[in-house]
Amino acid sequence: MNWSPRIIAAAMALALALAGAGCAKKPVATTPVPPAPTPAQTEAPPTPPTPIPVPEPEATKPPVSASSLQVVYFGYDSFQLDDGARAALDANAKLMRDNPTLNVSVDGHCDERGTVEYNQALGQKRAESVQQYLADQGIPANRFRVISYGKERPADEGHDEGAWSRNRRVEFTPR
Amino acid sequence: MRARPWPVAASLLALAAVALGLARAQSADVRINVKSGAIARLPLRCEAFQGQGSGPASSRDADDVLAADLQNSAVFNVERAWVSAANDPQPQFVTSGRWSVSGSTARLNGELRDFPGRRAILVQEYSSPVADWRRLVHRFADDCVQQITGERGIAESRIAFVVREGQNKELWVMDYDGHGARPLTADRSIVQSPSWSPEGSLLLFTSWRGGNGPAIWVMSPEQRKPYLVSGRPGLNTSASYSPDGQRVACTLSQDGNAEVYSLDARGGSPQRLTNHRAIDTSPCWAPTGRELAFTSDRSGSPQIYLMDSDGGSVRRLTFDVDYTDSPAWSPRGDRIAFVTRVGGGFDIWTCRADGTGAQPVLTGGNNENPRWSADGRHLVFASNRDGGYGLWVTDLDGALPRKLNTGGRRALSPAWSPRARPSPDTVSK
Repeated sequence: MNWSPRIIAAAMALALALAGAGCAKKPVATTPVPPAPTPAQTEAPPTPPTPIPVPEPEATKPPVSASSLQVVYFGYDSFQLDDGARAALDANAKLMRDNPTLNVSVDGHCDERGTVEYNQALGQKRAESVQQYLADQGIPANRFRVISYGKERPADEGHDEGAWSRNRRVEFTPR
Repeated sequence: MRARPWPVAASLLALAAVALGLARAQSADVRINVKSGAIARLPLRCEAFQGQGSGPASSRDADDVLAADLQNSAVFNVERAWVSAANDPQPQFVTSGRWSVSGSTARLNGELRDFPGRRAILVQEYSSPVADWRRLVHRFADDCVQQITGERGIAESRIAFVVREGQNKELWVMDYDGHGARPLTADRSIVQSPSWSPEGSLLLFTSWRGGNGPAIWVMSPEQRKPYLVSGRPGLNTSASYSPDGQRVACTLSQDGNAEVYSLDARGGSPQRLTNHRAIDTSPCWAPTGRELAFTSDRSGSPQIYLMDSDGGSVRRLTFDVDYTDSPAWSPRGDRIAFVTRVGGGFDIWTCRADGTGAQPVLTGGNNENPRWSADGRHLVFASNRDGGYGLWVTDLDGALPRKLNTGGRRALSPAWSPRARPSPDTVSK
């Protein structure tokens, strides 16, 4: 673990809270921490005890997460982006430009029809066509990881056209 | 960091075992020429083994395993003498034997004789630890098939498969008849497309273990320790060994699109075999190693194509049906099995290796992932033909497909091992 001042401060604050001696009002470990010096630091005692190793707080999430990005849907056996897909991706591109620390996994999915292997490749094509479109909008490739899940992770376990259309998709998940 | 566990040693062991068996068996030269899988079944009567035993290795259990093996071989039509012989035609062959269990050792003196003369074709003693008694009976069954057809049976082979558990898939293996199913992975991840090495000691498979997308791994079912073969950026899927075990055909997307590649057995020195902006995947070797079948949607929908092993001479396999995928080349070399989409489901067809003679083998429901047995007489496949997904075997002589018992698990993506038996060989003659 990298003992940055921020983490040490958070650890100390947590130790204090656990001991009942602190006066922290917020659950430190789950509050998003802005890039400036943390509020926890102002509440730390002047002579800190030895820091206790605690799990690194989930404090590095940007205010906008991968789930803020819209899901993109596809036609049967297709990786072409239609008007609806492009509109969703235009909105996603804006969100990513506005949140330059937001890095995401681009996950390609398929409906259950066809073989595992073919759908694996089709999901890859879908994810790559989405990533390419976002790259063309100026979002650098190093902000993405592209993964195909083929037909392994359906959003809808049904076996009809409605379920299939919801499963032919590219989702954005935390990288 | 990669496994090359003892294929040579395993092969030598198998050779030694076969040589030993041939040397000791009293054999008459009764052989029937077997071509292209299906033959007319030969009537055979299984007489109950004499002798005593107890528990899982009772002689009646052994009787039933032998009768099932010989019937499953698609070489014999088996009459169980201990059930009823009233209306059965006179057999051409008869099996019998003496069975005993003493301490931790099971012993079988098995006999195959012609009928009604009862001249000996095979008289052989087998022994094994009691726990491996089924393998002992499988060995006798395969010897019987070998004596009559000249080729070993497949009763000692195994089937690897994938079990879906919620959103996850794990790799499993079991005996060819569905017994002894056990998991090989517990990654709570996704596993796809298992494929055996030519000597039957290793399994290639695709897995998401590690969380970086699909990568190709290899594992010995005995050791259960996976080694990475290919974890390149993007797809690493659909892997299978060449018949000589020196190359691995697979699908990679490292060059920006799903293409078929040939790697060396450790995953290095990639050689790109396809070059098309369409999807190219699911490569499968001809038993000669000189050609591959693969799936491509370069004509608009998935179709099976053939190419030379250097990627040359690409040609479409068949024009008789539209939307074909999942090619599997018979170990005999003469036919290719595949799936074709019909309405909302998939049927399994075969055609000759030149694409002619396409005909349906299984219809109704979704019948997927056909894979051949080593003798080319059977296909194992995944199907929901009776409701939930499970594994089925069909003989190519028109017999009804039979469902393998996978304990109610949702079983998919089967792969039938070659004949070679896993080491250590616990059955002795």
